Amino acid sequence: MATTAAPAPGQTPTAGGSYAAGEQTGIWSWLATVDHKRIGTLYLWTALSFFIVGGIEAFIIRLQLMRPNGQVVSAEVYNQLFTMHGTTMVFLVIMPLSAAFFNYLIPLQIGARDVAFPRLNAFSYWVYLFGGVFMTIPIFFGAAPNGGWFGYAPLTTMQFSGGLNIDFWVIGLQILGISSLAAAFNFITTIINMRAPGMTLMRMPIFTWMSFIVQFLLILAFPAITIALVFLQFDRFFGTQFYEIAAGADPLLWQHLFWVFGHPEVYILILPAFGLASEILPTFSKKPLFGYNVMVYSGIMIGFLGFGVWAHHMFAVGMGATADTIFSMATMLIGIPTGVKIFNWIATMWGGQIRFTVAMKFAIALVALFTIGGISGVMHSSPPTDLQQTDTYFIVAHFHYVLFGGSIMGIMGGIYFYYPKMTGRYMSEKIGNWHFWLFFIGMNLTFFPMHFSGMLGMPRRIYSYDVGQGWETFNFQSTIGVMIQGLGLILFVYNFLKSKKTGAVAPGDAWGAGTLEWSIPSPPPEYNFAQLPVVTSRYPLWDLKHPEMTAGLAHSGPDAMTVTDSHATPMHEETEYKNAADLGIPMPFPTIKPLFTALFLVLMFSGLLFIHLDLFPVALTIMIGCAAAFVGSLYGWLTSPLE
Amino acid sequence: MTRTPHRRHGAGFFVVAALLALAACSTQDYPNTTFTHNSDLNVDVNALWDRVLFMATGVFIVVEAILVFTIFKFRAKPGAPMPKQIHGNHVLEIVWTMIPVFILIPLAIPTVKTIFKTQAPAPAGSLQVEVYGHQWWWEFRYPQYGVTTANELYIPTGKTVNFTLRTVDVLHSFWAPGLGGKRDLITNKTNYLWYTPNADLAEQVFNGFCTEYCGSSHANMRLRVYTVKPENFESWAAHQKAGAEGSPALIAAQKTADSIAKKAPAKAAIVPTPGGAPSPPVMNTGYVFPAANLKAHNIPRTPIPASMKFDDGLLAQGDAAAGHALVTNPVNMGKAPCLTCHLIRGEQAFLTDDNAKGPNLTHVASRHTFAGGLFPSNPANLARWIKNATAMKPGATMTTFGIGEYSSLMKAKVTAGLTDKEIADIVAYLMTLK
Repeated sequence: MATTAAPAPGQTPTAGGSYAAGEQTGIWSWLATVDHKRIGTLYLWTALSFFIVGGIEAFIIRLQLMRPNGQVVSAEVYNQLFTMHGTTMVFLVIMPLSAAFFNYLIPLQIGARDVAFPRLNAFSYWVYLFGGVFMTIPIFFGAAPNGGWFGYAPLTTMQFSGGLNIDFWVIGLQILGISSLAAAFNFITTIINMRAPGMTLMRMPIFTWMSFIVQFLLILAFPAITIALVFLQFDRFFGTQFYEIAAGADPLLWQHLFWVFGHPEVYILILPAFGLASEILPTFSKKPLFGYNVMVYSGIMIGFLGFGVWAHHMFAVGMGATADTIFSMATMLIGIPTGVKIFNWIATMWGGQIRFTVAMKFAIALVALFTIGGISGVMHSSPPTDLQQTDTYFIVAHFHYVLFGGSIMGIMGGIYFYYPKMTGRYMSEKIGNWHFWLFFIGMNLTFFPMHFSGMLGMPRRIYSYDVGQGWETFNFQSTIGVMIQGLGLILFVYNFLKSKKTGAVAPGDAWGAGTLEWSIPSPPPEYNFAQLPVVTSRYPLWDLKHPEMTAGLAHSGPDAMTVTDSHATPMHEETEYKNAADLGIPMPFPTIKPLFTALFLVLMFSGLLFIHLDLFPVALTIMIGCAAAFVGSLYGWLTSPLE
Repeated sequence: MTRTPHRRHGAGFFVVAALLALAACSTQDYPNTTFTHNSDLNVDVNALWDRVLFMATGVFIVVEAILVFTIFKFRAKPGAPMPKQIHGNHVLEIVWTMIPVFILIPLAIPTVKTIFKTQAPAPAGSLQVEVYGHQWWWEFRYPQYGVTTANELYIPTGKTVNFTLRTVDVLHSFWAPGLGGKRDLITNKTNYLWYTPNADLAEQVFNGFCTEYCGSSHANMRLRVYTVKPENFESWAAHQKAGAEGSPALIAAQKTADSIAKKAPAKAAIVPTPGGAPSPPVMNTGYVFPAANLKAHNIPRTPIPASMKFDDGLLAQGDAAAGHALVTNPVNMGKAPCLTCHLIRGEQAFLTDDNAKGPNLTHVASRHTFAGGLFPSNPANLARWIKNATAMKPGATMTTFGIGEYSSLMKAKVTAGLTDKEIADIVAYLMTLK
């Protein structure tokens, strides 16, 4: 997305639009960018593109299941579609959509000029993009991964899945893991080190808090799946026997490793959306978040307990009564901090002046729909009843209420909420309303009937079902629901594209919110803050504009020790675009080297595929060549000056 | 900002949910419902599930009602003053931290009790059934009876059946929703599941499914559980135990029966056969669940691919003796190597249940379905299956035998195989294996 011409420094933007003063424009400025805002924008555009891909996959799945004995696609194609729908939505859509907000918002919310490692940030994005393309391309050739997003061994071993399908998945997920890990370390460093003077941890905006927790989940959870994937990769390419059943392997090794990652992953997907909703709800209720401390602690608690419940995905594997009991109780415990969050959100709105903007509607929908997903989660925390539900459509209903009703609704709210900050223009509320209601109604029509088809015996992951099994009505409803959601998605894309040019111009403080990102112009200048604000409470902008709203909060100025930046000044609003050089703010040089480093990394991995095409010399040439190029790019990156 | 209508359909959902829940109780319309009390396991689980469902619905209604009330009551009114700023309330927060605790305790206690009750070892004297998962069909062995069958399971009412679950390849999961929960079949591991169908349970057939994704034809790995009176079970098992010895005599009887059947309209057809020959009448085979008592949902309606052509007229002329020779005479092994994968007890000795790759066919004609419960077991379907199994079922590993058919396993047209007439002879023979 090339930007429009930049205004002269010192000029206040009058027409809005997606520019910031003094910035480069054109394709090169995007390929070489190290600006967290641009990288966030790239994440957003890329993830939304994958959202459309994953949505089309879902649509074909639903067409196939609309009627019994559906003939739209073959069993093989269906298996690829459901595998890629899950993999895409988890790894290529929701995680990167969250990453878009991490990138864009964390520095703005904590009053920083960029992330700690801007180039590493660019590298994370390019690895994600190339890894995503690597995983997505084979679906167009009928060679996509077909082992499910969970890739259970031994089905995914060479004995049962020859061919390249699973290879794309094993390699692709490792590539994406590199992206997530690099980003996680970056954000942790940023949040710990780069907060504005006076912003103690317990004054951080709640979205930044939830993001902070998520980064720890990422660095603790991804190693587990990486180990699982490396084992599988070595089995497939180099003849090890971690999952080879003929050699006596225990397939549960995979399941334990996968779910030790897989369950925290659920919170990786949902906590950022919780954070976004926790920003939106107070703003449009004209009240601060109710029970900030408890919201933080419950987020930490959810993240912590999230590592102790993985085996509730495995109640049917025969772990024995004791293990079933322990994991069942741990799972029920998670209901407690989650319930607290729901009540605190409602209490935030209670007594407020609720404005029903589109963003607010999505945030309220998150509360309403996640409640359903949370309740059904507790319902199958009981192993004896779960044995009737696991691997049925009841579970499909459950996690779509969590991930669509929770994550996607929260992220959509976040997009409507932060679009004016990102572009300087509001999205159309009129079209947004249609989008919201089509999503809300379509979503419920799609997923609520799945509770019933599941309880009435319909297994998951089946490409067809027979006539007269009692599932026809529910499946037909679900398919209609997806069509309604599809209409909503089309309207959203239209709104998203059109508002960039024709939306109403937004001021810096687009909604009357209280956190730092709203104290600077929309879109923010490349340096974010000309003067770093000194923060004295959780809602610094309300301190400035509505002191009565934060009167009940503890205020304190920062110690002299903490204010070492010569740019730090008391809390203020910034409205002008200036030139970073004029302000004496050093900006990191743009560089394309992270892009090349990422590209060669991905190409190096893809060389492995040629081993299974029996082209060993080609594989070796590609891998060694790309490894050399990777090291070369990395050397160039590390030796070129930062700013 | 314009104010939009409030969410009114929350209440609508409750109504719909309640209606659907009521409807769910009807096994007539929902043959695979889990809301049943057909076995001791289902009684225990549903006692727990009723409580879970009741509590969940209650929490759902209360929370959503509070939410809807809140957004209605506190919608912005023009000119209203700035709301009172409340940053939190420790008492309230402790209260609603404790509420989930008090909701979870009455769920947790019976959960633990039921876990330990249902996972205890099966009572001594249970009927033992060994379940083996294959891509993509089920093998059932009754070690106490020396019986092996495929995809169709007979169990006596009122007697505890202990399933020993194993898989020969990837993971599968055994599930007959009407009788009890599921249990995975894990490679290199043995799992157990037991339950007792109620003694007063009417003789009927429960559909079952593989519920762990196992590859191409995961959806086509179905099973059927026949709950029958104990005396019928014994009769069935006694006959299933017998081998196919004496089949020449059966063949002779079959020929007579066929000629009678040709003169009179078929009344004993197992299931309606589109354009196919009528199935032979039942002979003295021990108890078999009567075809007439099958419910509509027990009879597979899987469409036959349009590409599958077979001259059904040949089926009526099928020569069982010729088919028997094709299958069992070693000189025909190259042409019809059925017995390299399928065990027909009494016809050869070199295969056992442990090394047979395909389903045991000793009493194949006593089954109502085949191919993982995908098709009604009748001559027309069996003939097409022999002709080109992979065209009938994605990923099927059985060789394509029909001359001129495309074999997706060999990626070539079959040149040396069986003619339609020969297939018809083999089917005629298979239909004698009652």
